[in-house]
Amino acid sequence: MKKLSVVLIAMIGVAIWLFATAADDMSTYSTFTDATMSGKKVKVVGQLSKDKEMYYNPAEDPNYFSFYVKDKDGDEKKVVLLAEKPRDFELSEQIVITGKMQGEEFVASDMLMKCPSKYKDEEIYIKGAQG
Amino acid sequence: MDSIQYIGEHLLPGQIGQLAALFAFISSALAAIAYYFATQRAGTREEDNWLFIGRSAFVAHGLGIFLVIGVIFYIMLNQYYEYQYVQAHVSSDLPLRYIFSAFWEGQEGSFLIWMFWHIVLGMILMLTAKNWEAPTLSVLALVQAILGSMILGLYVTEELRVGSSPLLLLRETMDAPIFRNADYLSLIKGNGLTPALQNYWMTIHPPTLFLGFASTVVPFCFAIAGLWTKQHKAWLKPALRWSLFSAGILGTGILMGGAWAYEALNFGGYWAWDPVENASLVPWLILLAGIHSNLIANATGHSVRTSYIFYILTFLFVLYSTFLTRSGVLGETSVHAFTEMGLETQLIILMSTFFLLGFGLFAIRNKSIPSPVKEEATPSREFWMFIGTLVLLFSSVLITGSTSLPIYNKIRQVFDPVFEGIVIDDANVHYNKYQLWIAVFISMLSGVAQYLRYREVNFGGYARKFATHIGISLAITAVLTYLLSLWINLHSWQYVVLLATCLFTIIANLDYFITFAKGNKKAVGAALSHIGFGVMIIGVLASSLNKTVISSDPFAMQGLFDNVNSEDKDFLKKNIVLLKNNKTFMDKYEVTYESDDTDKHIRTFNLDFKLRDEAGKVVENFMLNPNILYNKDFTKIDYTNPSTKHYLTKDIFTHVSSLSKEEIDPEFAKTVEDSLKYTPFDVEIGQIFALYDTIKLSNLDTAVVRTYQAEVLEVSKQGATHPDYVVQEGDLSVGAKVKVSFEDSVYYANPILVLRGQYLYSFPDKVNALTTKIKIDEAIFDRLFAPEEELEYQTFQVKQGETFQFQGHALNFTGFDKQPTHPAYDKEEGDIAVSAVLNIDGKYQAKPLYLIRGNRPFNLKDEVADLGLHLRFASIDPKTESMEIMVAKQTNIDRRVPLAITTDSPRSDYIVLQAIEFQGINLFWLGSVVMLLGLFFSMWQRRLEKY
Repeated sequence: MKKLSVVLIAMIGVAIWLFATAADDMSTYSTFTDATMSGKKVKVVGQLSKDKEMYYNPAEDPNYFSFYVKDKDGDEKKVVLLAEKPRDFELSEQIVITGKMQGEEFVASDMLMKCPSKYKDEEIYIKGAQG
Repeated sequence: MDSIQYIGEHLLPGQIGQLAALFAFISSALAAIAYYFATQRAGTREEDNWLFIGRSAFVAHGLGIFLVIGVIFYIMLNQYYEYQYVQAHVSSDLPLRYIFSAFWEGQEGSFLIWMFWHIVLGMILMLTAKNWEAPTLSVLALVQAILGSMILGLYVTEELRVGSSPLLLLRETMDAPIFRNADYLSLIKGNGLTPALQNYWMTIHPPTLFLGFASTVVPFCFAIAGLWTKQHKAWLKPALRWSLFSAGILGTGILMGGAWAYEALNFGGYWAWDPVENASLVPWLILLAGIHSNLIANATGHSVRTSYIFYILTFLFVLYSTFLTRSGVLGETSVHAFTEMGLETQLIILMSTFFLLGFGLFAIRNKSIPSPVKEEATPSREFWMFIGTLVLLFSSVLITGSTSLPIYNKIRQVFDPVFEGIVIDDANVHYNKYQLWIAVFISMLSGVAQYLRYREVNFGGYARKFATHIGISLAITAVLTYLLSLWINLHSWQYVVLLATCLFTIIANLDYFITFAKGNKKAVGAALSHIGFGVMIIGVLASSLNKTVISSDPFAMQGLFDNVNSEDKDFLKKNIVLLKNNKTFMDKYEVTYESDDTDKHIRTFNLDFKLRDEAGKVVENFMLNPNILYNKDFTKIDYTNPSTKHYLTKDIFTHVSSLSKEEIDPEFAKTVEDSLKYTPFDVEIGQIFALYDTIKLSNLDTAVVRTYQAEVLEVSKQGATHPDYVVQEGDLSVGAKVKVSFEDSVYYANPILVLRGQYLYSFPDKVNALTTKIKIDEAIFDRLFAPEEELEYQTFQVKQGETFQFQGHALNFTGFDKQPTHPAYDKEEGDIAVSAVLNIDGKYQAKPLYLIRGNRPFNLKDEVADLGLHLRFASIDPKTESMEIMVAKQTNIDRRVPLAITTDSPRSDYIVLQAIEFQGINLFWLGSVVMLLGLFFSMWQRRLEKY
């Protein structure tokens, strides 16, 4: 057998093995119940509860922003994000938060928001009185 | 609806553009066919005819596309909002310099810029490729035909549409009630360019990246041409210079994206393994594999097959990344992705066509591709270089696999609708874990292989020299690794290995260049690129492992969250509050938020950074100016821009992550305002009065009362200004300048009050440091402006020089002012205006104004506030040369200034800041640039090689 074939086969083997182990880096989105059960750092996907309080007062703590999220099971929990309140937060349709449960609160270190895209925007801007 | 005759639409440019797109499409198809026959009939008489048709058709195609682009620029520049593309990307307030950015912001525009580069490259091929012109341009014209179909916007049937035209009218793309109005155009305005994209990066990054993408087509064309004409060796040389060019440009485009992210975005980094970033990195990696394979093939005749495969794959991955970013399949996983345009099917057709063309042809020709019978020798350069190309391919496969996860999810969902889809938890952790080893292998191979020789037949005689050089390089590597480990925080052994291999490749390539290649020009490019690669990776290590968030408060973590490990960097708090004019310590820096300036919609914060030595002397002092961009009506922040201090060895990166709650939350500001208790004051100008501020001491039930001294310095009756006040014609504005002092500090507040029509607008001012807020009470208007109906005027007929008496005042009419000015008078053409100059009691002067505008007389009064006198210049009698002056005296004048003051207004003059120190980031930039220079240098070397 040629040397290069050996190298190639070895590489394919390693690739398969890596793809198999890479599954550990991936997961489906969790729910708050999963987060409470596992106690580990997880990703939760849900909707922002727009009627509930969103609290951010940098004068008190610039790294504390709290809000409520309803996960895909409809379970609603208070979420504490250890960062500033992102811009356009109220517009978000879907939120993915990374963190873990601490008692009744979900403490998040990271958050991704999905906002209605500018490109999808079907409304036309109507000129205001001042053009 | 069809019957509506719309007003003001410009339909002609759109029709011209759509025709041009169709023309370009047809001519590219014709060019592909003509060049096909020119290739097939090469050497016959027909060849020249076919070549002529092919060339003309390709040039015609180019003109067609240029015309489409021209038309789009024309309608954009003229702001014809009846076109959807114009309405979506342009607005009347968009600066002209961003017109290009607006053009390629959208999908169709970026397709066009891609095609534009293809045409430019095609023209160069036409002029330089000689024998290769016909087959390569045949392939390129086919690519253009398929890309061109994407912008056709032709309806084959009601539902089936081919392409999405950039020249559709707004009313064709949506059904809205507004289009029932024939004059709808006068009602709409453009969306404009997202503020985030209004910077010079958006002007240079996309065209460079698209040139990079577009140029990968040339090696692909050569590969297909080689297979097609069975000239399996001859294509390699001309292809190489093009692939070096392409790798250089694509690399530059990717690096620019990183620089943009680092300089102008606020995630604080240059690379995030975002799917769109990966999608441009993968073709580049495969292209590099192709270049190395090509070099082997040129030198030894091995690896011709892999050269074919790599170049075909490079182009296919460019198409695949186009598909990923444009089909909307990435959806929520990327910040860059476009949303759907309904072109998924066409994009899949595009990919499959060239996949079949490339690999189909390869399969047919496979047997005829030559390769040396003898295997590569193990100690030969080609053997290890080949392994290197496989490592690059391996890296691409891994990245593509992970990036394609959304596609995997989609496919699985077809069969299993309840499958929710999986996501990568932490992209950085995931990708870095694997790519670290790729970098280790690449740097090791690029070091060792340089010492080896092509077609090694006598390694035995060479082994001594080889071992000596490797040995010395390794020894130097060990020493340098140790030294650098003192600086870079290598917290796990993998990083030590990576650092060592990178240093090894730098040293080995230097050694190779000096002792083996002896300055041979041909070796410069390779040595530069490999050294650059090593330096770049060391820069990555330093900047990410030594990255410190200097704005985080080290004590903030304590006791707040029980089971959060303080080592857990994710939970590190990154923000700090900076009060205006208060020193704050960040790491070793003393930071003061000194001031902020607002220019149009941009508010810039001036932050002073000081570094002191042990004796307290300032050894370094610099300003950073992060800014924020407000939306049009100042109701919210649209965007923030970071500001970075660059040192040779590190960068200090800052960005404003939030303003005070009062400024970002108007409702909260109102609640705070409503809860404040204002004390009314009526004070004379110059009278000093006291303000009392009760300050609660923390944790104690006691409070201290501080006394501030206040004084109204002056009151202005017009032209008052305030940062939040936008002047409108007809406004009546009154302002006061109030001085407030406490101990040694003196502050000034300038509250104003504006009367606009029937409404009063109060613009209070704050002395934040003393939590004091001052408003002017509306009673000031009655005091400053006596109502006209309460005044009893007495009329006097006077001549110039005469003096008359009025209620104890002596008024002398001294003369006229023919160039009169008056606060309420705006000069207009055709006015006849004159004012009477009156001297009162020898101390005061009044200049009431008389005006004839459009045959009608007017007069504007003047006042002597100190005396309460109001004077009007009512008329001129030319016969008697006497003037009619009206005078009234206001009784019971109250000159006190009514104010409302609170000392409990919370401070809102602060910003929330994030500051990060990146060490060694310049090594990253330097290394990357050197690596790319190496590629360009190699290309330049080969530009004139004969083939």
